[in-house]
Amino acid sequence: MSDGPDLGRVAALRTLSTAQRMIRYAIVLAPVAVLATIGAETGGVNPPVAIVVVLLAGAWALMPDGHLGLLTLLLLAWYWAATVDHPTAVATLVAALAVLVFHTALAAATVAPPAARWSRSMLHRWGRRSAVVAAATAAAWGAARLLASARIDGNAALLSTTLLALAGGAVWLRRRSLTR
Amino acid sequence: MSAGWQPTAALVRAALFGLVLMVVGMLLRRVDLVVIAVPLLVIAVWSTATRPVATPEVAQRIDHHALREGETTTWRIAVGTPDPGIDDVAAVLPMPRFAELDPPQGSVAAGTDHEGGGVTNLEVLVRSTRWGRRGVSPAWVIASSSWAGFRWVSSDDLPRPLVTLPVPAAFDAMPPPATAHGLVGLNRASRAGSGTEFAGIRPFQAGDRLRRIHWPRSMRTGTLHVTATWAEEDRHVALVIDAFGDVGDSDGIDGRASSLDTAVRAAGAIAEHHLQRGERVSMQVLGARQRLHVPPASGVGHLRRILDRLTAIEPGPQDRSAHDTAAGRLRLGIDPGALVVMLSPLVATSVLERAIDWSGRGFTVVVIDTLPTGVVDDDPDDPFRALAWRIRLLERDREIRRVQQAGVPVVPWRGPGSLDEVLRGVHRRARGPRAVRR
Repeated sequence: MSDGPDLGRVAALRTLSTAQRMIRYAIVLAPVAVLATIGAETGGVNPPVAIVVVLLAGAWALMPDGHLGLLTLLLLAWYWAATVDHPTAVATLVAALAVLVFHTALAAATVAPPAARWSRSMLHRWGRRSAVVAAATAAAWGAARLLASARIDGNAALLSTTLLALAGGAVWLRRRSLTR
Repeated sequence: MSAGWQPTAALVRAALFGLVLMVVGMLLRRVDLVVIAVPLLVIAVWSTATRPVATPEVAQRIDHHALREGETTTWRIAVGTPDPGIDDVAAVLPMPRFAELDPPQGSVAAGTDHEGGGVTNLEVLVRSTRWGRRGVSPAWVIASSSWAGFRWVSSDDLPRPLVTLPVPAAFDAMPPPATAHGLVGLNRASRAGSGTEFAGIRPFQAGDRLRRIHWPRSMRTGTLHVTATWAEEDRHVALVIDAFGDVGDSDGIDGRASSLDTAVRAAGAIAEHHLQRGERVSMQVLGARQRLHVPPASGVGHLRRILDRLTAIEPGPQDRSAHDTAAGRLRLGIDPGALVVMLSPLVATSVLERAIDWSGRGFTVVVIDTLPTGVVDDDPDDPFRALAWRIRLLERDREIRRVQQAGVPVVPWRGPGSLDEVLRGVHRRARGPRAVRR
């Protein structure tokens, strides 16, 4: 439902359905949760970064169907990588789940007009699927903790194979998305 | 033509962020970045793997193509979603003019049900608030795949017609017996004949019915006498609507009425009243974009015909010469005994001149003033506009006085009884002699 930014979007917030209002709250609060996690891990958050992230999150709450939502995620990822140095802490799982919530909320905001009520089946389906991905994320975090405790040395062949697999996956994603 | 299933910003975001963060995490040996990338990468793969192939089939229809003002119908959208990859369907019905939607923004959404035949049904209630013929544009239908990774948008843009009949205003009239020149009806004619209203007792003539013999008088006088009655005839009521312009704002049936709103609803009310009395009603519209004429007839079906033609009225050009031409072209085509009811805001002088002309030709003309009260023509950029409008209103008052002096009554529309007083006056005047131009 991309309409382009205008003042009508702000006015349209008054007509939001309950589900859409919750989704917009999630869009704003999820990046704040990532910042809070970083703050808890590092003992503080850089105020300019926090202000920019909150402003961007607010903007995406108004315009969820834009490519610039990616900017918020990349900014958060850069800030995380630059400040957090305890990779397998619970904070990693919290941050990953917050990123999941942010992306899911942005995606969910675009499947129905802002004023449309969400049916029960839509709520259940989105909730079930989010739970599945959250479980997969938790499993990945658990595996990462196990691997980190195993102290496995670097392996160039494994890394190359994995990178090649990722590149192949990227090509598959692109071809399947743009063709047909 | 629909563009088919298109990848969305959500898919691009999930794929790019997931892949970039995964690669960076592996290169920097940062397992936390890999973990953070996992959810979006899973979503990207999930969305792409379940990409829908089949195009949804959308069928849209409106339950009723003709309504009365204030009535509600349902806009139905059936979306065939045979592909299991389609998760959500949403629709937005563009707000038609003079209509209210429920939900108020015309937005509805539902999750697809692939077990119930693969058809998702959406409904929007449409309440038409003003008479007229308008098209209702079809809803934009959007189907989304899992995780909103792909989107399909419908391409139907063919408006469906919706005719809104005016709700006739409340109207009743109790005028005195009118002069009637028709064949059969409810009004007392000026001649004796077969009817119910007592006219007198007269000597029997060949052809009189035996049941009309008045026996007491016959016994007293020794010659046969019969009871005479007045004939009962119908009357022709000609409605003339001034559609040269629409003065004032219209908020539909629940709000302010423009001059044309008042004229249309009053015309419907007058037609309904006289048709119920068995009289013939005709209608002509002056100055509309298209020629609108309903020949005289009676009956309930004729009321439906008049209301249907009323919905087609669109104000005509504002050009003064066009007013004069259109008013001059109008030929009523009725006999002089007809009652001509003209409904006009009386802003165009040509209409007033036409009323005087018809009156001079022997028609009984009544003008109903439909100008809404409190109309101001104000423009902040043009200080003289409001002044010009006030001057026009003063001129209008003078012109109305001139019309009244010519014997044409002008009354504002006030609903029931609007015409009682003026029709009594017309009736009194009809009894006396008057000069008529032929």
